[in-house]
Amino acid sequence: MMLEVKDLKVRYGNIEALHGLNFHVDRGEIVTLIGANGAGKTSTLLSLSRLPQPEAPHVVEGDILFDGESILKTEPHQLVERRQMALVPEGRHIFGNLSVRENLDLATYAVQKDTKFVSSTLDLVYSLFPRLYERRKQRSESLSGGEQQMLAVGRALMTGCKFIMLDEPSMGLAPVLMYEMFRALKELNEKDITILVVEQNAKVALDFADRGYVLDTGEIIAEGSSEELSTNKDVQKAYLGG
Amino acid sequence: MDSTKINEQKKHINLWPALVFGGALILFALVAVGVINQYIQTVIMFIGINIIMSSSLNIVNGYMGEFSCGHGGFMLVGAYVSSALSVLLFTDSSWVGHSLLPPSTAIFLFPVVIIIGGIVSAFAGLLVAIPSFKTRDDYLAIITIAANFIFVSLVNNLEFVGGSRGFMGMKNAIYAMEDIIRLPYMLIWTVTFAVLAVFFIRRLMRSTFGKGISAIRYDEISAEIMSVNTNHMKVVAFMFSSGLAGIAGGLFAHVLGFINPSSFNIMKSTESLVMVYLGGMGSLSGSVLSAIIFTFLLEAMRPLQILKWVLIPLMLILLMQFIPEGLLGNRELTDVFPKLKRFFRRRDI
Repeated sequence: MMLEVKDLKVRYGNIEALHGLNFHVDRGEIVTLIGANGAGKTSTLLSLSRLPQPEAPHVVEGDILFDGESILKTEPHQLVERRQMALVPEGRHIFGNLSVRENLDLATYAVQKDTKFVSSTLDLVYSLFPRLYERRKQRSESLSGGEQQMLAVGRALMTGCKFIMLDEPSMGLAPVLMYEMFRALKELNEKDITILVVEQNAKVALDFADRGYVLDTGEIIAEGSSEELSTNKDVQKAYLGG
Repeated sequence: MDSTKINEQKKHINLWPALVFGGALILFALVAVGVINQYIQTVIMFIGINIIMSSSLNIVNGYMGEFSCGHGGFMLVGAYVSSALSVLLFTDSSWVGHSLLPPSTAIFLFPVVIIIGGIVSAFAGLLVAIPSFKTRDDYLAIITIAANFIFVSLVNNLEFVGGSRGFMGMKNAIYAMEDIIRLPYMLIWTVTFAVLAVFFIRRLMRSTFGKGISAIRYDEISAEIMSVNTNHMKVVAFMFSSGLAGIAGGLFAHVLGFINPSSFNIMKSTESLVMVYLGGMGSLSGSVLSAIIFTFLLEAMRPLQILKWVLIPLMLILLMQFIPEGLLGNRELTDVFPKLKRFFRRRDI
């Protein structure tokens, strides 16, 4: 088990956002968390990535285990270095002032000494997203939404991660770009990268993931393989439009 | 593609050191033959001090994108620490009595005293760095102003350094140095420290470590998940910046020979801010350029007396209205005039 979340309860101030989540991700899997607005999907990812207080909720109970060790005490910047976990945050958070190439370079902060790895990953990113290669010298804020999302994923890869968490990668993307994005993620998964993806678009997410969890108001209400979930009557009714 | 790039780079001769050393030599030669009088020397020293002030504040306000407006406070710490040290060590005074070291040692130890002033004020910088972990923008600005006020009123109430009457006597250390060999020491040291400050800031900001500081400006969350230890970066940036301000303060004190707390109040911090915004945030050459222009402007407006303090804020308003990004924006001089690139070796990203 690569990631194990045990009975996770988190709060924003006095408001409890997650009421004891239990889920796990195995090595080499693609797992999706689906749910409506306010279900606690982003809160889960933010607590997993250990971001500091104002952005992320406070974990009051439970534990997050990565490779069997608790990461609750780990600083976010150490997650990349020590655990090879990367987050692709909601709203992309790319460095808009910098060119595409500079964005990718900045991400190699932790692994920069390994020049071989850096250049081979750069080739990988460019081959996954040829658009980024075409625009490598362009200021990244001038990219389209889809290209920015590609850049955010590319940047996560450049950190040398083995586990990527994505927060709504489909948000604001045209359907064509969305499928292209998921195709690229699938390709990455075949290269032995484990993926946890949070999605509102349940149909696409379940098409692409191995397993899924359905989140509602801070609790997991259903879980199972993608086929099971897509045929589940309740899930169909609530998230797949009947 | 890469081989042509390397060839191209070879053509660039690095003229930096030659330019700086040549300029300094010409300057000192002119002083020695007496072409440059005392007044112009003083103006040049203030330019040096202002260059340190503006370029060091640029680390925090420009490169890191935080808003610190208490730079005068750190200048005060450096000024008082290094003045007290040089009075204590090199001069016989009514303040502490006999000098602790022979006054002639000042000739070697003077830069050390200035640097100690810088180190102490770097630690004072922690006072601002630690709250900056949790607050940013306007709130941090308020904290930095408060820090400035704390330093000023602290010294105002410290009787043993003269309180609000001020502190003097450090000039005697310079006289002791001049007794040995007659040289324009303060001019030499202000120019040297200004050049070194710019050099180190340039090196820091070009390094990968410095890129992490810039990453905080662009996006703090992203910086953190890209494995940049933002808290560590902030401490380093604030301490480096306030340490340099302390060095500027030490030099300022020794140039004037008299300091009092009110010369380092919020006005001083505002001056540094004006210089940073005049030059452009995140532009080192902009900071240097604006320090030069600003010092000249202040001197040119000296006959206007109090009206000066109407014109300078007015200038700031006009600046924000018409060129809000400053003279150079976040570009360097070599980006504005690409032909200058021939003279500097540049690493391609």
